[in-house]
Amino acid sequence: MKRKVRRDYARWVFVLPAMIVVAALLIYPIFSSVFYSMTTKHLIKPSYEFVGLANYIEVLSDMNFWSAFLHSILWTIGSLVGQVLIGFTAALAINRVKHAKGIYKTLLIIPWAFPSIVIALSWKWILNGVSGYIPNLLVELGICDQLPQFLSDSNIVFITLILINVWFGAPMIMVNVLSALQTIPQDQYEAAQIDGASHIQQFWHITIPHIKVVVGLLVVLRTIWVFNNFDIIYLITGGGPADLTTTVPIYAYQMGWGTKLLGKSSAVTILLLLFLLLVCLLYFWIIAKWEKEDK
Amino acid sequence: MKRKLAMLLAGVMLVGSILSGCGGSEEPAATTTADGELEGDITFWHSFTQGPRLETIQKVADQFMEDNPKVNITIETFSWADFYTKWTTGLASGNVPDMSTALPSQVVEMLDAEALIPLDDVIDDIGRDRFSEAALSEGEKDGECYSVPLYSHAQVMWYRKDLLEEAGLEVPKTWDEFAEAAKALTKDGVYGCSFPCGASDMMATRFLNFYVRSAGESLLNDDLTANITSDAAIDGINFWVDIYKNCSPQDSVNYVTLDQADLYYKGKTAFDFNSGFQISGVEENSPELLDYIDCAPLPKINEDDPDYGAETSNIPIVVWQNSEHPEICKEFMKKLYEEDTYVEFLSATPVGMLPSITGISDLESYQSNPTIQKFSNAEKVISDAVGKSAALGFEHGPSVQAGLLTSQGVIETMFQQIITNGKDVEQAAQDAEDELNELFKSVQ
Amino acid sequence: MGKLKSKLGNGICHIYLIVLSVIAFFPLLWVLLSSVKSAGELSANPTSILPKKFTLENFTHVINDLNFIENISNSLWIAILVTIIAIVISSMAAYGIVRFFPKVGNIMSKALVTMYLFPPILLAIPYSLVMAKIGLTNTRIGLVIVYLSFSVPYAVWMLVGFFKTVPVGIEEAARVDGANKVQVFVRIVLPLVLPGIVATAIYTFINAWNEFLYALILINSQDLMTVSVKLRSLQGAEILNWGDMMAASTLVVVPSVIFFMIIQNKIAGGMSDGAVK
Repeated sequence: MKRKVRRDYARWVFVLPAMIVVAALLIYPIFSSVFYSMTTKHLIKPSYEFVGLANYIEVLSDMNFWSAFLHSILWTIGSLVGQVLIGFTAALAINRVKHAKGIYKTLLIIPWAFPSIVIALSWKWILNGVSGYIPNLLVELGICDQLPQFLSDSNIVFITLILINVWFGAPMIMVNVLSALQTIPQDQYEAAQIDGASHIQQFWHITIPHIKVVVGLLVVLRTIWVFNNFDIIYLITGGGPADLTTTVPIYAYQMGWGTKLLGKSSAVTILLLLFLLLVCLLYFWIIAKWEKEDK
Repeated sequence: MKRKLAMLLAGVMLVGSILSGCGGSEEPAATTTADGELEGDITFWHSFTQGPRLETIQKVADQFMEDNPKVNITIETFSWADFYTKWTTGLASGNVPDMSTALPSQVVEMLDAEALIPLDDVIDDIGRDRFSEAALSEGEKDGECYSVPLYSHAQVMWYRKDLLEEAGLEVPKTWDEFAEAAKALTKDGVYGCSFPCGASDMMATRFLNFYVRSAGESLLNDDLTANITSDAAIDGINFWVDIYKNCSPQDSVNYVTLDQADLYYKGKTAFDFNSGFQISGVEENSPELLDYIDCAPLPKINEDDPDYGAETSNIPIVVWQNSEHPEICKEFMKKLYEEDTYVEFLSATPVGMLPSITGISDLESYQSNPTIQKFSNAEKVISDAVGKSAALGFEHGPSVQAGLLTSQGVIETMFQQIITNGKDVEQAAQDAEDELNELFKSVQ
Repeated sequence: MGKLKSKLGNGICHIYLIVLSVIAFFPLLWVLLSSVKSAGELSANPTSILPKKFTLENFTHVINDLNFIENISNSLWIAILVTIIAIVISSMAAYGIVRFFPKVGNIMSKALVTMYLFPPILLAIPYSLVMAKIGLTNTRIGLVIVYLSFSVPYAVWMLVGFFKTVPVGIEEAARVDGANKVQVFVRIVLPLVLPGIVATAIYTFINAWNEFLYALILINSQDLMTVSVKLRSLQGAEILNWGDMMAASTLVVVPSVIFFMIIQNKIAGGMSDGAVK
C-alpha cells in the first residue's frame, strides 16, 4: 500500500514542472484575455465596464477585420504553398544529384538562420525604392523604366512579402523532407524497377506515401507559425500601404497599442485562436486518417 | 447573470495571478535622508537615442549623481515611436519611468490617464515668466502645469540653394510656386519633394496641416470634431497627391520621419519640411552640402496672405505619478535648466533645439556656436515660426482629439488609399473624418 | 537512352539548385558587402557590388558606440538558459506522459500542441501586466520565463515522439535489476533519446534567439536588449544608417549561419524521427 502511494507521487514529479509552467504561463493569460474581451478595457485607463459579447459583434461587423482576415488566409496559403513547393522540389533535387549535395544543402539552409529583424532589414535594404540593389539593377538592365517599388506598389507588395516568407521558410521544409526521403528503404525502389515501374509511378507509390505524414505535420506547424506571425510583416511594411498587408495579428496589435482598445483587441485575438483551433482539428483529422491508412 | 459571469472570470483571473506568483505591495521610500540629502533611484526615459544629445544628458546625470552620491539615475532611450508603445503598455502594467521627455500631443493623453504630477514649483523656481505662456499651456489642466518645455522648434520649408540657382528659380513663397519649383527640380536622381505617408507616423497629417493652416483653417472644428472635408483640406489633399505623383519617390507612401529626412540629408530631395534638425542631419550625412541648404517660412496660398506658423513643438519633460522620488526628478530638472548645462544641451543640435526659456539666446556662449552663426537666417526663420503657432491640432487648446489626430495614422491611411487604390479624394476625406470622429468618441 | 535521360535530369536538378542557392545566398552576401561600404557609397552607387573603399567604420561604430556585443551576449545567455530549462522540464514531462500516463498522455500532448497555437500577440499584454506585478519587466530573467511559454509545449510535443521510440522492455530489464524510476530515466532512457533531445534543444534555442515581440514589449534598457530589439532600435534612431544596420546584422547572422551549417545534420532528423512516430 505504502509503495503504491510512493509510485504515484513519483510519476507526478515527472510531469509537474511542465504543468506548472503551462498553467502559469498560458492558463492565466488566456482567461484574462477572455475576460478583457468582454469589457471596455482601455490600455491606459483604469476603469472599464462589462459589455458581454459586444466587442465580438463589433469586430465581426468591422470590414477592416474581414479584410485583415482575408489577408491572413492569403498570406498563409501563399506562403505555405510556396514553401512546400520550393522546399519539396529542392529536397528531391538534392536527393537526386550525385555531386555537391553537401554544398547545396549548406547554401540552401542559410535563410533559416536569419532572425525576423535581419530578414526585414536585409530585404528592406535590397528592395529599397531609392538605393536598393534590385530596383536599381532592374533599371540599369533596362527591364524597368522606373525604379520598381516592391514594398509600396499596391500590386506587388503582398506578393513581395509572401516571396520573402517563402525564401525564409522553404529551407526548413527542405531539410525535413530530405531526411524523411533518406529513411525510405532503397530496396523498395529496386523492387519497383524490376517490376518495370516508371519514375513517376515510383514517386507516387513509394515516395509520397512515405513522406506524406512528415509533410503533413510540417504543414500543420508552419500553418500555425505563419498564421500567427507578426514580426515579418510588422517589421517590413507595418501593415501598409493602405492596410494592404494588414493581417489579423497586425490588426490586433494596432487595436491594442494604436487605438488602445484592449477589450476589442482581446476579442480579435480570441477569434484568431478559435479559428486556428478549427484548422488544426481539421489537419489532425486528416493526418490521423493517413496514419491509419499506413498501418 | 452578466455580473455573475464577470465575477467568475475575475475569480479565475485572481487564481491565475496567484499561480503566477504576483502581488505584494511596496512601502513608499523616503526621498531624503535626515540631513536633507537626496536619496533614491530614478529612471529617466528620453528620446534622444544617439549622438551629442544623448551624451550631454548622460553627462548632466553623471554630474548630478556626483553632487548627490545617494542618487542613482538610470537613463533609458527610445525612438519616439517606441516611446509611445512603451509608456502606454507601461501605464497599463504600472511600469513607467520616474520622469521622461514627451510629445505635447501625448502629454494630453497622459493627463487624461491621470499619469503625471504637476510641476508648478519647478516652473516657479526656474522662473515662470521666462517660459512662453503658450508653451506652458500645452501641459495645463485645471490651472496646474504638468509639463515643462525643454526645447522648442517649428516646421519650416527647407530648400537647396544650389539647385534653385541652377534652375534659375526663386525661393517659392506660395504653394503654386512651390509645386512648380519642386516639379522642375525633379530630375537627375533628385526628387523635388518627398511626400511621406507611412501609417506608423504622422508625417502626412503634418504636411496636410501646413496647407490647411495656410488657408487659416484647422483640421479640428471648434467643437473638437475632425474636419478633413473643408475646402482647404480637400485642396490640400489634392495638392499633396499631386506632389506625390510628380516629385516624390513612390516608396514615400511608406515613409516615416526618418526615411523622409534621410533623403534630404543625403541630397536626394530639393525641398523638405522640417525644423532645424535638418542641419545636423546634413552635416552628418553629406557635409559637402552644408553650404547649400537654408530654410524659409512655409509657403502661403497667396503671396499677400498674412504670415503664419503651422506647427510648433515645445518638447517637454514630465514627471510620472508612479514616481517614488518626484523631488529628485524636480531637482534634476532644475539642473538641466542651469545656464551652462542648458546651453551645452542646446548646442548638441544647434538651431535644431531652440531655447524654451528667455535669457538664453542672447548669451555669448550660445551665440558663439559656429553653426548658430552660419545658420543665423535659419535660426531667425524658425524662431519667428515658433511664436506663431502651437502643436498640431492645438489651435483650440490642448485636447486628446489633437493627439488622436496624429497618433492613429488615419490621415496617412487616407492618403495611401487615394494614392495606391485610387480612391476618390472627397470620399476618402469623408471616410477619414468619420473614422476620426468615431475614435474621438472612445475618449469622451 | 535511359542513361542520357538520367544525365539530363541530373543536369536540370543542378541548374535548379544553383538558381535556388544564389537566391538563398544573395541577401547574406549583400548584407556582408554593404557592411563594409561607407555611407556615401551606399547611397551613391546602389548597384556597385564590391566596395570601392573597404571600411570597418560601421563595425567599430556598432561595437564601440552602440555596445552591440553586449546585446549579442544577452541574446545568447537568454537562449541558452531557456534551452536548458525547457529541455530539463520537457524531457521529464515527455517521459512521464509516455510511460506513466498512457491513456491521458495522448490528450495531454494534443493539449500541448494547442498551447503552441496561442498567438503571441494574445499573450503579450497579459505577460506585460504579470511581469510588471512581479517586478520582472526589463529583466533578462523575465524574458526567460516568458520564453518558456512557447518553448516548453513545443519541446514536450517533439520529445514525446522520441520517447515513444524507446522499447519498454529495456526499462523493465533495468527495473528488475533494482533501479528506480529516476535512475531508469537518467541512465537508460535519456542516452537512448539523446539525438532527439539535441534536435529539440536546437529548435528551442533558435526560437528563443529569434524572438522579437516579447522582447520588444518587456525590455526597456539598451544594455538589456536582445539583438532583435536592438537592431530594430537602430532603425528608429535619429539617423538612418544602413551601414550600421548591415554591420550589426552581419554580427548576428554570420555566427547563426555558421551554427546552422555545423548542426544541419542534427536538426534534419528532428521532426521526422520524433513527432511522427
